[in-house]
Amino acid sequence: MPIPAKAFQRWLHGIAPNTSTSDICRVSGIKRTTLAQQLVRGKVAETTVVSISRAYNVNPVSALAAFDAYSQLTDTRPPTRPELVSQISTTDLLRAVLARSVADPGGEPAVAAPAGSSALEPAPHATSVKNWVEAIDDGELRHRVSAATGIAPQNYSAQLTANRLAPELAVATSLAAGVGPASGLVATGLVTEAEAGWPPEARQAALDSLSDGQLTTLAGDRLQTLGRALRRQEHDHEKTEKIWENLG
Amino acid sequence: MIEILQWSTLTVCGLAAITRVPSALRGKNRTVFYIFALMTLATLLSIRAPYFAIDQALGGVNVANLLLRFVIFAAIFFVGIRVTRGFGADSAYRLLTGRIGMAILGLISLAVLVLFLMMDTAGSSAGLVAMSDRSDRNGLLVEYYGAAGRAYPAYVSLVLLPAMVRACRSNLPALIRVAALLLVLGSVAIGVSLLFPVFPPALGSVEFVINYTAVLCFVIGLALIWVAKLRSGLNAPGKKTSTGK
Repeated sequence: MPIPAKAFQRWLHGIAPNTSTSDICRVSGIKRTTLAQQLVRGKVAETTVVSISRAYNVNPVSALAAFDAYSQLTDTRPPTRPELVSQISTTDLLRAVLARSVADPGGEPAVAAPAGSSALEPAPHATSVKNWVEAIDDGELRHRVSAATGIAPQNYSAQLTANRLAPELAVATSLAAGVGPASGLVATGLVTEAEAGWPPEARQAALDSLSDGQLTTLAGDRLQTLGRALRRQEHDHEKTEKIWENLG
Repeated sequence: MIEILQWSTLTVCGLAAITRVPSALRGKNRTVFYIFALMTLATLLSIRAPYFAIDQALGGVNVANLLLRFVIFAAIFFVGIRVTRGFGADSAYRLLTGRIGMAILGLISLAVLVLFLMMDTAGSSAGLVAMSDRSDRNGLLVEYYGAAGRAYPAYVSLVLLPAMVRACRSNLPALIRVAALLLVLGSVAIGVSLLFPVFPPALGSVEFVINYTAVLCFVIGLALIWVAKLRSGLNAPGKKTSTGK
């Protein structure tokens, strides 16, 4: 649920006292009409808080944690390895597979893969929300989230497929899975890894710690899912073309 | 109220037909133009004043009403063919153009023609209202004639319905799904028109609303598909430059 306007104004007064709304908007790059609208409706979007925090050098996660709905964010547990790996893009995983096979032509265990030779793309990636939920799902996670928040399972799935997740659902998902509460906000791209307190190079380290078998299986799974999605897209595209050919 | 509905339906159909003229001249999906043109003609023939004028020119024995029936058949037949082809509903396409579809079209056309010839049809009257008051026998014939005239459109709508419902629930572009929804509404409206004989006479105006709703849904639905194509055509070149190598 978005943040109540009253609490937001109190918070805003705390970090930027005696600053006009238009100055805040200018510094944080928020459109003035957008903020005005959110204030009138009494609900301020989480992205607004994040943008303003960044502009005033406040950590966005601790800023959000100041609001009742996000008080769980004070818990700064480090991300688990599956979570870290889930936030590596499919391209980077495939690149790692190739790099290992090049570095290791003889078939000896690859110990010193040239780690960090190419930096990973920053999270989030094109399927990071779904991959994150799959990484922490014990099989019952979706049921628990829908029971806790009241969201219909099909609406939840639709958000994951669209690579979106409302911030409060992301936090609720973390809680239901028992992992660090800020991870979901990283996967949805609301905050960066660094802002969520993920150590630098944590994803690279997690990637390096995967065995060749684990890495290859994971990359294969991702590739298969990607292939299915692309095929579905192509199929829909063909159908659309056919409709236009006959009725356009 | 009904007059407004009639004339606005005519305007919508006419505009759709006119805007299709350039692409029809270029030879692009002429059938879609024919559908719009036939629907315009059908709407024109269903309005009292133009009906009277046209029927008088045709001899004043309500041949215009017979013409109206066959114009509707032709329009709905083309709609059926194009839509089943476009949406890849092959079994529905066979149900329309195969032996069954042709037999149904032939039988219903014959029934319409025979019933018309059996009627006493002297004196132009839109919707043959005056005919049914003439005698009990004539009233019954008008009723059967009307039912036969609604039967073929209802058959085509029924055949189209499953494919359209599927299209609504698919991942196709939003505009196409809206168009499919309109076609569903139009098909349902035509299906409901089969029940007109059991409608109480007090609901006469509802019958009009249902008829014109069906025409509007079909015309706007088909036009929307066209709009969707034009819009994608506008977007595509921009996409190409951004991803082009």
